[in-house]
Amino acid sequence: MNSPSAPLWQKNPALAWREIDGETVIISPGDSVMHELNDTGSFIWKHVDGQRTAAEIAALLRSEYIVTSEIALADTEALLEELAGQRLVVLAANGSAGDSSR
Amino acid sequence: MLDDHAGRAVPRPLDLAIGCVPMRLHFPGEDLRSQSLERYEGFCATVEPAYPIRFESPAPVLPHSADFSYQFEGASLRCDKVGAFFSGVRHAYALDTLLRILLSWVLLPRTGFLLHAATVVRQGRAYVFAGRSGAGKSTVASLAPAGSVLTDEISLLRYEEGQWRAHGTPFWGEFRAAGSNTSAPVAGFFRLIQSPRNSVRAMRPAEALRALLPNVLFFSTDTSANRRLLDILTQAVEQVPSYHLDFQRTQNFWEVLPA
Repeated sequence: MNSPSAPLWQKNPALAWREIDGETVIISPGDSVMHELNDTGSFIWKHVDGQRTAAEIAALLRSEYIVTSEIALADTEALLEELAGQRLVVLAANGSAGDSSR
Repeated sequence: MLDDHAGRAVPRPLDLAIGCVPMRLHFPGEDLRSQSLERYEGFCATVEPAYPIRFESPAPVLPHSADFSYQFEGASLRCDKVGAFFSGVRHAYALDTLLRILLSWVLLPRTGFLLHAATVVRQGRAYVFAGRSGAGKSTVASLAPAGSVLTDEISLLRYEEGQWRAHGTPFWGEFRAAGSNTSAPVAGFFRLIQSPRNSVRAMRPAEALRALLPNVLFFSTDTSANRRLLDILTQAVEQVPSYHLDFQRTQNFWEVLPA
């Protein structure tokens, strides 16, 4: 079950990104820095949509890859934290899964 | 000489075509025009319609907001689809820099980009050797037969009529010679790595994009422009074979290149 305050992330709308060869390449226009995600990172990235929590994305990851639910959630949360630190994902306008607007 | 609207004598415009992108430079004075005529001699061509570049000091206020603007060491440019204004251009070096920056933007709708790369034509096909300063671009150019070097510093790549072509540019590096105003279909992209041995290894498209991107000249921070650039580069690395090239400072490295 989701935490009442589980944050909802969305891709930073200012980014340019493309999937190529199973990997995701992201460019932050402000500094033209290139970021890359491997296949599982790309899977998580594709499902970061401002609607799904980390737990929901982790459940999708578990359905696609052979991985325990604990590791799927830990990996998803770790990647989201890293992406948020680089401003590649930002909090969605509706904030968190616990918001009354959801 | 011509007269401007105020009756002052102004030099005749200079028409250039770099990578088949026609530009018309309306110089404010004869000095910069004559320096440019010498520097870009091989790239003078009149093709209509030419993209107009005007020089102003200080920078004029465009009648509408510019699509792209950039400042570099006191010089600046502002441009849109109709034309460009350069300001603060005091010498040929500044003009050269602004032309590179402008071209990087003007090429976007033409499915093209500028790359820090030497390009050598061999048997009618362009071998594009990418790398930053010190990677060996000028070394590759100096080892190539006379007349086969399109550029030793900045290559212009465009997707034209179903194929990627490399064009020479007048932007030279240590080779100290302007590039050749010709083009050839691209045989491959090669990431230069100086090495005691010669060997070549194919790169996957994602790997090629990773190798090329740091060598792409691009200055816009606009999101849509960056997305367009990424689309163009993705198309290029998916359609053109790319390789890591370990090479010695001898001509023998050609022996390991794919035919």
